[in-house]
Amino acid sequence: MKKSRYLWLLLALMVSMVTRAQGILGTVTDENGEPVIGASVVEKGNPQNGSITDFDGNFNVKVSEGTPIIISYIGFVTQEMKAVRGMKVVLKEDTQTLQDVVVIGYGVQKKSVVTASIAKVSADDLDGTAPVRMDNALKGLAAGVNVTSSSGQPGAASRIRVRGVGTINNSNPLYIVDGMPIEGGLDYINPSDIESIEVLKDAASGAIYGARAANGVILVTTKKGKLGKVSVNYNFSQGWQSAWKHRDVLNATEYAIMRNEALVNAGQAPLYADPYQYGEGTDWQDILFNDNAPVQNHELTISGASEKINYFLSAGYYTQEGIVGGNFDRSNYTRMTLRGNFNLNIFDDSKSRNWLNKLDIDVNLSYARVKSIGVGVNDQYGGLVTTAVALSPILKPYLETEAEQKAQDDYYYKMYPDYYTPMFYEGKQLALPGVDYNEFGNPIADLLAPALPGWSHKFVTNFAATLQLWDGLKFRSSYSADLSFWGNDWYSKVAYYKPTNIVQRSSAGSEADRGQVWQIENILMYDKTFGAHTINVVLGQSAFENSGFNVGASRYNINDYSKPWVNASLGLAADGDRDGWAGPTTKHTMSSLFGRLSYNFDERYMVQATVRRDGSSRFGTNNKYGVFPSFSLGWNVMNEKFLKQTNDWLNNLKVRFSWGKNGNDNIGDFRYTVLTQGGNNYGFGRGGAEQEIVSTKAAGIGNPDIRWEESEQFDFGIDFGFMNNKLTFTVDWFKKKTNGMLMTMAIPSYVGESKPIGNVGDMENSGIEFEAAYKFNIADAKFQIKGNASYLKNKLIKLGNDTGTATYDWVQGGVGNISRAENGQPWPFFWGYKTDGIFQNWNEVNSYTNAEGGLIQPNARPGYVRYVDVNGDGKINDDDKTNIGNGTPDWTFGLTFNAAWKGFDFMMFWQGTAGNEVFDATRRVDIASSNLASWYFGRWTGEGTSNKYPIWVNNDTENWKSSDLYVHDGSYLRLKNIELGYTIPDFITKKAFISRLRLYVAAENLFTFTKYWGFDPEISSGGTSLGIDYGVYPQPRTFRVGLNLSF
Amino acid sequence: MKRNKIYAIGLLALATLTTTSCSDDFLEVTSPSDFPIEEYYTKKEKIEEALVSAYAPLHWFDYGTTSNYNALNLSSDIMSDDMYPNGGNDADCPYLQLAFNYSVTPLTDITGIWLDSYSGVKRANDVIKYVGWATDMSETDKSNVTSQARLLRAFYYNLLWKYYGNIPFFFENLEAPYTTEQLSADEVYAKVIEDLEDIIDHGVLKDEWDDANIGRVTKPMAYMLFTEMVMYQNDQSRYTKALGYMQSLISSGKFGLLSNYADIWTEAGEWSKESIFEINYYSVNGGRAWDNGLGAGGSVNIRLCGPRGFIAKKGDPYEGVVEAGWGFGYIPPKSIHSFEDGDARKDVTGFDIWEHGDAEAMQDCGWMFRDKTPGNYYCNGKYLPLAGGNAGCTGAGDMNFNNNFRVYRYSETLLNAAELMLKTGGNASQAAEYVNQVRNRAGLASLNSVDQDDILNERRHEFMGEGKRYWDLVRTGNAASVLKAANDDLGFRTKDWDSHNKYLPIPQDNIEADPNLKQNPGY
Repeated sequence: MKKSRYLWLLLALMVSMVTRAQGILGTVTDENGEPVIGASVVEKGNPQNGSITDFDGNFNVKVSEGTPIIISYIGFVTQEMKAVRGMKVVLKEDTQTLQDVVVIGYGVQKKSVVTASIAKVSADDLDGTAPVRMDNALKGLAAGVNVTSSSGQPGAASRIRVRGVGTINNSNPLYIVDGMPIEGGLDYINPSDIESIEVLKDAASGAIYGARAANGVILVTTKKGKLGKVSVNYNFSQGWQSAWKHRDVLNATEYAIMRNEALVNAGQAPLYADPYQYGEGTDWQDILFNDNAPVQNHELTISGASEKINYFLSAGYYTQEGIVGGNFDRSNYTRMTLRGNFNLNIFDDSKSRNWLNKLDIDVNLSYARVKSIGVGVNDQYGGLVTTAVALSPILKPYLETEAEQKAQDDYYYKMYPDYYTPMFYEGKQLALPGVDYNEFGNPIADLLAPALPGWSHKFVTNFAATLQLWDGLKFRSSYSADLSFWGNDWYSKVAYYKPTNIVQRSSAGSEADRGQVWQIENILMYDKTFGAHTINVVLGQSAFENSGFNVGASRYNINDYSKPWVNASLGLAADGDRDGWAGPTTKHTMSSLFGRLSYNFDERYMVQATVRRDGSSRFGTNNKYGVFPSFSLGWNVMNEKFLKQTNDWLNNLKVRFSWGKNGNDNIGDFRYTVLTQGGNNYGFGRGGAEQEIVSTKAAGIGNPDIRWEESEQFDFGIDFGFMNNKLTFTVDWFKKKTNGMLMTMAIPSYVGESKPIGNVGDMENSGIEFEAAYKFNIADAKFQIKGNASYLKNKLIKLGNDTGTATYDWVQGGVGNISRAENGQPWPFFWGYKTDGIFQNWNEVNSYTNAEGGLIQPNARPGYVRYVDVNGDGKINDDDKTNIGNGTPDWTFGLTFNAAWKGFDFMMFWQGTAGNEVFDATRRVDIASSNLASWYFGRWTGEGTSNKYPIWVNNDTENWKSSDLYVHDGSYLRLKNIELGYTIPDFITKKAFISRLRLYVAAENLFTFTKYWGFDPEISSGGTSLGIDYGVYPQPRTFRVGLNLSF
Repeated sequence: MKRNKIYAIGLLALATLTTTSCSDDFLEVTSPSDFPIEEYYTKKEKIEEALVSAYAPLHWFDYGTTSNYNALNLSSDIMSDDMYPNGGNDADCPYLQLAFNYSVTPLTDITGIWLDSYSGVKRANDVIKYVGWATDMSETDKSNVTSQARLLRAFYYNLLWKYYGNIPFFFENLEAPYTTEQLSADEVYAKVIEDLEDIIDHGVLKDEWDDANIGRVTKPMAYMLFTEMVMYQNDQSRYTKALGYMQSLISSGKFGLLSNYADIWTEAGEWSKESIFEINYYSVNGGRAWDNGLGAGGSVNIRLCGPRGFIAKKGDPYEGVVEAGWGFGYIPPKSIHSFEDGDARKDVTGFDIWEHGDAEAMQDCGWMFRDKTPGNYYCNGKYLPLAGGNAGCTGAGDMNFNNNFRVYRYSETLLNAAELMLKTGGNASQAAEYVNQVRNRAGLASLNSVDQDDILNERRHEFMGEGKRYWDLVRTGNAASVLKAANDDLGFRTKDWDSHNKYLPIPQDNIEADPNLKQNPGY
């Protein structure tokens, strides 16, 4: 920094020495009054006559007063003025150029000529949402992009779907960070290093990424320095997180009443003589949740630029404690990030010749170190959150008297003499709930168990050289590498935690993985305007390889728990007590050629064609290469003469249309060929002395024709700008059909082998997306409102297997399968019975009959649920299970409101969904002693008491099959972030050499409006489980204070 | 300036280099752990590995590829008059319950036999193909491997043919579109029997294996399979040949009857002189598990067909000897009562649950239970879950009982020979002598002469619970008269067998996936 300034000073001095003789003296400053060093000031029409501003922004040009001069500097709007002695020139930062450019993959494009559907999220947008990971960052900011947090666990990834679920297989979008595809460890990027995120939504924009673009492409561009000034920023925030909601469950008295009632209704004796003696009882959620869990963020960035070098350096440190178990070091996340982005101009002779005249080198270096640990989330089998809701409020977390301690110890010492030892927390002995609660143990005991901490290191570097070959013709060559190292270390301690977790032997294990990805790209770019014709051509080649290695070991019998390592354990390999594994992972390679031609006439008519040919190691022998074309058209109606007169109110009207084909190459490895497989052994030998003989065989039936999944998409969009673009509005309609989804082929089982996978399924998504923004001022106050909304309709056209159906998620205890795929339905949907109220009396039970007069529900009694005989066959069975909702929202929306007045700034970001359902699977129907949501108290207790919730009977599964009783409206509207900042006036901060100091307070998830009674309406744990609540780890409500400091 | 040019040209050169160095090879990626089959199966040692995998489906039947529990005795005897499906209730393994009552449909079929046998066929076909790729095998080596594979394939096809009749048939594995021609049952028979003849005549089948390889198929096993098929087909043209095979086994002196019938079913009785072919099951290091049901190890059929909820009476000789099972495949009291007095096989065949069980203590005794008096309920005494029968297993205890499944015993050789002798108009007294060897061993008096019915009756009692009876009834034309609901004195069977029941339906998914496939008549 210092050096470059010094250099400039020297240069400026040299220049000024030459030109001092005579002329106009003036200064150039930016809008903040900072001198602009190195700006060019030349006489109009005579560029040889000019000067460069010095360290103080001064210049001296040999022209007479009144001569037009041109003042220019990269990153600022060029100004033309008449020369006046002592003139003060204020250059405006050229924000327009930054905002009006869209990154499109292998290049940028002026927004006005973009013909595809691309959502752009800028650094400013991201600042308002304070995301931890870049995949979280997009939530609510881009139309057509649905982001669902998987949980509130620190560092948790999100599920991202661009324009719907494209396939029953992997629907994750492709991430390209500074030109490099990133497949794992997306959190290595500090979101505040991001300059912009572009989501390539339609096939036309994605086609440049060919075989990987079918589920959308997310382009991330990191920041660069800005010319002219060295900027040093330090950001700090400290937050406190808490659960924003507790589930409303029965208290001890209500619990005892319900248990008694259930038993009596089942013909058994009540359990609790006097329910009222228990009062409120234990609130297990209070025991579990870690309120005011801290989260802290530090960021330091230094950036700047000169004509020769542009740099952006950042360091970040983020640490977060989870609201479930964070206080036990069981749900924690720490990340350190380092980044250096450089652009170096090696030489620039573009003024003196027009061939081989400019060489630039871009370098991005980044490193991230992450340590994370998590508790099980969304887990019906004893997940902590589920446990806190399910444990009886009559139970106590700690044993309070010596008698209680003795009773528990005596019992467990007798039952589990080798494993049981009393556990203590904060000096209190933990009470164990006992066998009645199956997987639900004392959550504190679970949290005291050793855990599985993960670690990772990731380095990503990009080097690129751009050589200007000829006027408008550039060649760019790049090499990128991504080195990752990750793993985890675990151990277990001999202990009795709960009936389903009795650790009988200690063991230690470690696993370490390494992955390396490299990518080489060579691109030829041509960009030229001839009169009204502008042409842009990109031709390129790309190759990448992704490989890895995995090594691990495990061993029984830890010698001493202070050294919980494989090396410090005692198990012997000969006893099968020591195991190890190591080997490379399957490589993934890809080699591609691509080209794009963009043409526009007078910025009125635009046309763009893209084609990419990808060869992939994953593709079958008969389809090694795929070609992915796209085509798009645009018409800037506004630039037509006949619309000129509307300019005062309508100033932008663009119509876009695009079509294209993209591929999804996430199809697994070697599915086209047949490899060997072991483990189909047979024992030979005489009775009692048989020996297992090792065998191998063909692993399956290959399908040499297997190919990528392909999506074909149409998009039609219109962009509007009103009132000098103060109000903008964009609407896009799309229809996307995925063809050839991979599924086990419906071939006869007599082939005698597991059936091959084939491109046999089809899926369709269609939708409409809106984006609008409005900027306005009232007196000194500036306001901006930006919003987006998208509507999505998904349909599985053909699953491609024998039956056209598949069942997925399962709930324990007679509930059974709850999600399903079926041709013609959204994928997936909640699968269960429809209910039609409660039988109020015997008369109603007996009159619910089929055509033959038989009872449709012969097992029913008054108070039982009336199931709808959907197929009308006169009985209730699996065939009556139907679509009772699904977790995919119809509508997704986001709304940002900004206001600024004097030093104050205010921001609100709302985000939500509508039309999605939640399947509440948090109650373990098979565990009779588990606690209940308080709405169970509204159960049927006699004629007319309830027409929704059935009679409460112990071990009743009849009324608790998968049905719409479990399905709730999951729509929500959430104030994701609200922030109020104040920038200390610079006349105060200047004294401390501080150019800007902003203080702020903020809150995340301050309000959530939802009808869903659970912890969080936002639920996803991967696969098909969107919207299925097994006890989700809620997102915390966070209050933050912070500061932004600039020098 | 000059230097810049050099930089620029150097960069261009580098770029060109990197561009051109990427070729098709770059996209060829190999698996880090497995091998392409064409490269792998070129050596004898590796082809032997593939051959072992063709044996593996033999031990799957008792579990089935998808826990169908289609052991070769259980899945066929339930269709005879000598076995009930039982289990926990009338929906426990419903295909077994339905097959018992001749009510299976294409959707509720016994599918384990289908899936396992076709897996065997597929693997055997592969082995035969791989032998053609071998570079280090002598013609004898090749014939040795190929003969075993072909014989195994014939064994699997025999099952498919008997159970399902008109089946898709192929000697070379299927490629896209993965369908093949369906043959009539007679055509299947013709193909398989010709192949068997060729293996027997030209193959290098061993008469016996050394101890380490016991369990592999042999020439005697081929003779038994050939005879079984010929007799099931009632193929008079091959009776003489089959009889010749039987007599060569008898005259070889390598086989004989154990003096004590009960000894056959002990571990020591495995691969005894009476044994011609068995499916090996073992418990020591048996790795079969619920998540590895096709793994090598013991048998689950033993637990499956053990007495449900069994608790021995205090002081009973079976206390601590017989463990409880899941109560499938009981033998009807009527069948046990049909043994002649003094038949030593009676008590071995029927384990009288109420004679040994503690009626007070036993709670869940399963479906089809009536009253708890001795002489009323029997489970299959030949394959009892004995305490320690699964000792030493590393997988699931329930799945690793060490009882080999007896496929062909020497007593069947004798009874086959007797029957064929009658059918070919041979020496009737020799036939009676063969039958009397079997009778005498069971402690029964000799018969002066035997007819077809005597032999059938002898077979019933000799092989009760071994999966022979149903096929005997079908091939002798007695099925329709014997397998009547009225003949089930406990009244569980409500439907009569009719001729369409000779074949089970072809499992529905095959019909859907192969439009040319015709369902068996009557379904």
